[in-house]
Amino acid sequence: MNAGAQPAKSSPALSAGSEPVDPVYRQIRDLVYKVSGIYKTEEKLYLLAAGCGRRMKQLSAKTSREYWDHLTAHPSRDGEMRQLLNEITIGETCLFRSQPQLDALRKVILPEIVADKTKQVTRRLRIWSAGCSTGEEPYTLAMNMMEESAGTLRNWTVEILATDLNDHSVETAKAGIYGDYALRSTPDYFKRKYFVPVEDKKLQVRPEVKKLINFSRLNLQDDSRMLFMKGMDVIFCCNVLIYFDGSSKSKVINHFYSNLNFSGYFFLGTSESLLNLNDKFHLVHFPGAIAYWKPSLKSGKL
Amino acid sequence: MSTPVAANVITQVRERVKAIETMPSIPQVFLPLLDMLNLPPDLVSLNEVVKLVSYDNTIAAQCLRVASSPLFGLAKSPDTIKAAVISLGLRRVQTILLTCCMGKAFPAKDWPLDPIVFWRHSLGCAMVCRQFSEKMGGGDREKAYMAGLMHDIGFMVNCMVFPKEFGAAVKYALERQIPLDVAELATMGFTHCESGRALAELWNLSDDMIHVIAHHHNPERSGTAQPLVALVHLSDLLCRMRALGYGYYERQKVDLVEDPAWAILLREHRKLDGVDLVRFSFELDEAVEGISHLVSTIMAGGNP
Ligand SMILES: C[S@@+](CC[C@H](N)C(=O)[O-])C[C@H]1O[C@@H](n2cnc3c(N)ncnc32)[C@H](O)[C@@H]1O
Ligand SMILES: [Fe+2]
Ligand SMILES: [Fe+2]
Repeated sequence: MNAGAQPAKSSPALSAGSEPVDPVYRQIRDLVYKVSGIYKTEEKLYLLAAGCGRRMKQLSAKTSREYWDHLTAHPSRDGEMRQLLNEITIGETCLFRSQPQLDALRKVILPEIVADKTKQVTRRLRIWSAGCSTGEEPYTLAMNMMEESAGTLRNWTVEILATDLNDHSVETAKAGIYGDYALRSTPDYFKRKYFVPVEDKKLQVRPEVKKLINFSRLNLQDDSRMLFMKGMDVIFCCNVLIYFDGSSKSKVINHFYSNLNFSGYFFLGTSESLLNLNDKFHLVHFPGAIAYWKPSLKSGKL
Repeated sequence: MSTPVAANVITQVRERVKAIETMPSIPQVFLPLLDMLNLPPDLVSLNEVVKLVSYDNTIAAQCLRVASSPLFGLAKSPDTIKAAVISLGLRRVQTILLTCCMGKAFPAKDWPLDPIVFWRHSLGCAMVCRQFSEKMGGGDREKAYMAGLMHDIGFMVNCMVFPKEFGAAVKYALERQIPLDVAELATMGFTHCESGRALAELWNLSDDMIHVIAHHHNPERSGTAQPLVALVHLSDLLCRMRALGYGYYERQKVDLVEDPAWAILLREHRKLDGVDLVRFSFELDEAVEGISHLVSTIMAGGNP
């Protein structure tokens, strides 16, 4: 955008400050996308630059060009890319991280699943939050499902499975106590309805919400345990696969495919892509959200 | 989806559109410019375009400002149409001029469909059509752009000619969170495709453009212009899923690859298969701000 001719609006060609972005970071952005499926938009490019900056300090690399060589030249490149991914994906999470995903789930997916399963005896919905970190995601899902319990999900049982590799995270998740930062995107309506105030001005999730969720430790790379995860209607695995390389990623995705029921859905984080790791899933769009769909048996497009 | 609209309804719509005296007055340079876009590039000269545009100073001024939008790629406003053509190419400048003309034909008013929302969608669609055809290689990018820009003009016709009926249709769509064309058909018995077509015929647009306007919700009904219509159909869906829709939540799941339009387009452009739709969506999200800005420039009228 031409800053001179226009009012001072945030411009995509400029970083958070007003320094123009070093074009090398666009190259790094493309490389990161190719390796991990994470896309840093122009607006978020400064975060990528900051992550690179921290790595450059570690490596005593002086210029972005020099750092680019670390990322692209043998033998360091695979290891360095992993380090960079760690930098730009630090265990960040919060409640209500993606409203469009929740809308897609409540407004489109649930009615579809309910209509689909209505002839079955067991009216049970199973959702899996894979890589749930400290619990923000599964609690968000649980509260939103409770909102539907008098409507679309009337007479349905909802089970939410929440797993993470990190023991400490799982313990924190079970406690369900959150401060302002984790709650920054949570609507007041939900805060009032589903939380109780506890010490330090924090809020704790009500027991009724916790009741829907089953927390446990699970390594997504543990094939024998992954085989047992069956009958999922929807899987959320947001901002997790970024930690894996291509082959372990595709292994996990194939597991997810078998873990899902027919007509089930799989969500990634909002800036992630599956790339071309699995061609059995259909890419589907909802307003503001992308998901992967396991075709139904009757669609005959397996 | 929608059932075909009966021939007699189409005739009625056409009669009513014709009868309206306050039909959008498109700037005089619009139609000659659009015709030029259909000519082989070597038959159109810079001087002709410059001469044409000199009849309408406000359009020229606006064009220069729009040319510096990030979506058209110039960092600085060119001083003259000639300078713009040197940096952007004649055809690109022609489409910018046409975009400005369209903005003038349908100015901001308190209509059932907010013109700002309408223009964001139309421009978004124009950009997506152009980018799609860039990614597919081959095909006429500027023509794709124009097709995207004009596909929904029927909505503006509805606002002007059938404001009450269309107002009810919009309300119906919002309440049920369903696509606008479905709501139009349910409440009015015809859609913006029929009214848009009536205007397109009145304006003597090319057959391709008429097909785009009339069939973009059912590309398989277009006989001759199928790939172009299919391109617009897919771009329209993508825009509606990425914050460039009609300003309300549509309860919809869109599977572009399974859409019949995908197969139509794929027959023509094998490279479509390689388009990374997720990355494309992310790029589109990035363009939203620029598009909104462009809309305000276009709606601002001739003088800054
Ligand atoms: C950034 S958090 C994502 C939290 C939440 N899903 C979200 O999107 O807000 C990533 C989580 O993935 C977990 N993780 C990384 N590798 C894993 C593995 N192999 N198995 C299970 N979880 C893993 C980490 O422990 C971390 O809690
Ligand atoms: Fe339309
Ligand atoms: Fe449209």
